Amino acid sequence: MSRARAPRRWSIGVAVDQFFFVFAGLAAIWLAYLGFTESLSIGWWGIAGFLVFWVLLAYLVLPRLHRILTTIYVPDYFIGRARTSDGLLGDPVNLAFLGDGDQIESAMRAAGWTKADPVTLATSVRIVTSTLRRRSYHEAPVSPLFLFGRQQDFAYQQEVDGNPAQRHHVRFWKCPDGWLLPGGRRVDWLAAGTFDTSVGLSLFTLQVTHRIDADTDVERDHIVSTLRTGEVAVRVDVIADFSTGYHARNGGGDSIRTDGDLPVVDVRAVTT
Amino acid sequence: MTPTAPDNHEKRPSYEPVTRLLQPIARDPHMRRPAATVAGAGLVLLSAIVGIASMADLATHWGSIADDLVLDLDAAELTPDIINASLAAVLAVVGVTVVIEMVCALLIFRGSNLARVAVMTVAVLSISTTFAGWWARDQEITLLTTLPVLALNILVLLALSSRSAAAYARRNEKR
Repeated sequence: MSRARAPRRWSIGVAVDQFFFVFAGLAAIWLAYLGFTESLSIGWWGIAGFLVFWVLLAYLVLPRLHRILTTIYVPDYFIGRARTSDGLLGDPVNLAFLGDGDQIESAMRAAGWTKADPVTLATSVRIVTSTLRRRSYHEAPVSPLFLFGRQQDFAYQQEVDGNPAQRHHVRFWKCPDGWLLPGGRRVDWLAAGTFDTSVGLSLFTLQVTHRIDADTDVERDHIVSTLRTGEVAVRVDVIADFSTGYHARNGGGDSIRTDGDLPVVDVRAVTT
Repeated sequence: MTPTAPDNHEKRPSYEPVTRLLQPIARDPHMRRPAATVAGAGLVLLSAIVGIASMADLATHWGSIADDLVLDLDAAELTPDIINASLAAVLAVVGVTVVIEMVCALLIFRGSNLARVAVMTVAVLSISTTFAGWWARDQEITLLTTLPVLALNILVLLALSSRSAAAYARRNEKR
């Protein structure tokens, strides 16, 4: 291989971008401080000032700070957890699949799940209007979570009786080619299934988010049992104690616990 | 079913090299325009509109502003000619800035990396100057003085420096 053809390992442009990224984070902290002190000095308008301060803090300053800090301290390889767009640890990866994407989607549909719409301006507006009018929105998008540095490829969900705050949902990521699970087993897809219990404030970024049920094993077993009843060609094999039982928090600050078993769902016999 | 390990698998080093952070972004010419790019272009356009508003403000109150300047500088008496000429000069400078900002907003919206880096560089210089004055010389920053402009600059910088805006501006770069 000649040197000229090897892909560049680093670029000055990206280094410049990183400088602006960190500088903007520091400047935003200063702006939040100025906004806070200014809110104290403008009387009753200060209440509106504090609202602006919270929006600034929760949606711009803290995400940027977490993005910078998690780049430093969160390992960038598979540790059984998805990451939020701010780089914080997110939902636990608790399902594996063998087969291709179409077969998984077909099995999920047969098991009574609905595919989530992608997050766009139109679907975001529809979430707000359906929540305000108390209409159900079965294909409501799910927030992006990252695994292998990529957003989920698709997500499926089940709504709970017209309550927009509660839903079952599971995100799917295709594993990179030639990638093996820790321990050496090969799977084609990984998935993270959790149950949204209510809407609340995130502990780490103070944003409005869904809180998830702490016992993620219940949701994992619910997904596997619906798949088994919905599609006879599905086979399930469990890797016991894949991640030894642990207690942890997800990116929204909810505690989660699991027995550490990883079901491997084989959908290779499913006809699409 | 036996797992087969690929033999051309490159082993990871036991540490993560710093250059990992400086890896070029993957090329993606079909990337959708992210919200951060739209927000950044919109905020640059907003600062252009603020510029137009300040031009109108300068034009209507120029007489008193010029008087204050003369008192500060201990300069000679003002004739109407000097007032008009100085107003035209100031308006021309602000006007050129407004036009440049509008062009940059359009270029950023269309995904130009040069315009994005140029606007961010100006924002960094402006923020640094304001910070130095606030830190070292205790210049007050309030809602009625420099805070709106400073906030606009910082928001522009936050939007345009975000990962998605950077990836969009560099979507056509070859690795």
